[in-house]
Amino acid sequence: MTARGRRFRDIVLDLVTVLLLALVLLPITWVFIASVRPDADIMTRSMVPTRVTLDHFTAIFSRGDFLIALRNSLIVGSIVAVGTMLIAVPAAYSLSRFTYRGRDVVGFLILATQMLPAVAVLVPLVVIVRALGLANTLTALTFMHLALGLPIAVWMLKGYIDAVPRELEEAAVIDGSSQLGAMVRITLPLIRPAVVAVGTFAFVLSWGEYLLALAVITSTEVKTLPLALQTLFDPYSFSWGVVMAGGVVIAAPTVLLFLLFRNQLVGGLTAGGIKG
Amino acid sequence: MFTSAAEHKPRALSKLALPYILVAPAVFVALAIAGLPLLYALWLSFQDWYLLRSPQPVWGGLVNFQALLTDSALWRAFWRTWIWTLGTVAVEIALALPLALLLNRDTAIARLASALILLPWVTPFIVLGYGWRFLLDSEVGILHAVLQLLGLAGNSSILNDPNMALAVITFISGWKGMPFMVLALLAALKSIPVELYEAAAIDGASPWQRFVGITLPSIQNTILIIGLVLGILAFYSFDLPWIMTRGGPQDATTILGITMFKAVFTDLRPAYAAAISIVMLVILATASFLILRLRRQE
Repeated sequence: MTARGRRFRDIVLDLVTVLLLALVLLPITWVFIASVRPDADIMTRSMVPTRVTLDHFTAIFSRGDFLIALRNSLIVGSIVAVGTMLIAVPAAYSLSRFTYRGRDVVGFLILATQMLPAVAVLVPLVVIVRALGLANTLTALTFMHLALGLPIAVWMLKGYIDAVPRELEEAAVIDGSSQLGAMVRITLPLIRPAVVAVGTFAFVLSWGEYLLALAVITSTEVKTLPLALQTLFDPYSFSWGVVMAGGVVIAAPTVLLFLLFRNQLVGGLTAGGIKG
Repeated sequence: MFTSAAEHKPRALSKLALPYILVAPAVFVALAIAGLPLLYALWLSFQDWYLLRSPQPVWGGLVNFQALLTDSALWRAFWRTWIWTLGTVAVEIALALPLALLLNRDTAIARLASALILLPWVTPFIVLGYGWRFLLDSEVGILHAVLQLLGLAGNSSILNDPNMALAVITFISGWKGMPFMVLALLAALKSIPVELYEAAAIDGASPWQRFVGITLPSIQNTILIIGLVLGILAFYSFDLPWIMTRGGPQDATTILGITMFKAVFTDLRPAYAAAISIVMLVILATASFLILRLRRQE
């Protein structure tokens, strides 16, 4: 094929790509569009927008129950993010740097939890949470959410630590540092982007999680955002615009953080998904 | 250098224990959220426990498993779950393959699109579920208008149609999972040596022959493995059908995950629900094992 022919083909295929992508992403873009359309436009199904409005967002942020849910989701998500980082970094370091009896079993155990869907352990978890008197608490939810991103976090960070030359740490140990000191001072700063990505990932997973929250939480004071959105869907008085605005509040941070940390996460996902 | 043996020993011990101490919290979480609940579910499945009758479980032996066999609604949900699972994976492959081939080019648009295509995968179910309900709503949905025009939907939303609801939600489920397959296929496509295509082109192979002879054999393992992973996820679905139709209309979208959820929260029979989850685990383990075994024999 000539250079011009190839260029032409690329342009045609790019156009096809753009069209297909627009079609595939329509359900998501439509949520964002509806959240800023006036109710009149939504009801008439007109494709031509009359004006852009922030009314739905004003409405949603003036609701007490939604604000409480926003606060709860922020609390749970932040603790889960920090907790995942604090647990995953040492675990990944241990799996990467040491050889010891049972290491492969431990690695497999952690990876296997990733493959276990929440539905598979839902019943026993609900019974256990109730027996412990932790039903309707954010404590139970936070703890369960820790398991969402932890396995991928450990395996992703292990890959990054594997790539840091041991010699760097050994040099620090010879200079009188302990092995843990060497890890904190030498290796940790080098893998910091990956650690931040892992924390972000854990936050996002907790932020959008629905089933476990649905199973252990019923009262308004401890509801998280996905449950609050469901409450907004009151059959007697609900506005599609407001529900879509609520959807944007839930989706926006997820989408934003994912696009920011895409490279680290995609690498980790494919490595975790295919190697395992 | 001048450390005595007494001083030396604890240090050696702590050094031995260090890797275990570092990994312990992660193991604790894995055991508490996965290992322990699985064992507990197994124990629970042998109990007789109907919350309206007794607050505490009593040993029931195989009572739940006997009840499973004669539960006709459960059997219908069981077959429906297979349709749902295979349908979801089929949609995932059908959508992902052309997209991956299209995105496997080195242009700015293709690179940007490879990032944006991941959005359905990362957007939470609750947002997608309500988004699709909005699109399919009989009063405000633009997609409903299109379906009505095509004669697929009447005046009521297609989600209220017992014959169509499962097909529609299965498609949405495949759409949601498709990006993961695209990601994996892109990785597989990029690892095919360009020389293979060049040699085939010199031999005069048509694009279709090149696709069947080179591309397909190189990515079929990826399709199988990722298809299996996505199939397991689909088998255990709950969020999407629950958010969109609560398993309705008339149980049309009640898959096993929903049956199990209702067994705990509506029927108040946690032990029966545990038995369902144990059966689901056994089926899944068997199916995965068989598929991988068949694969190895080929």
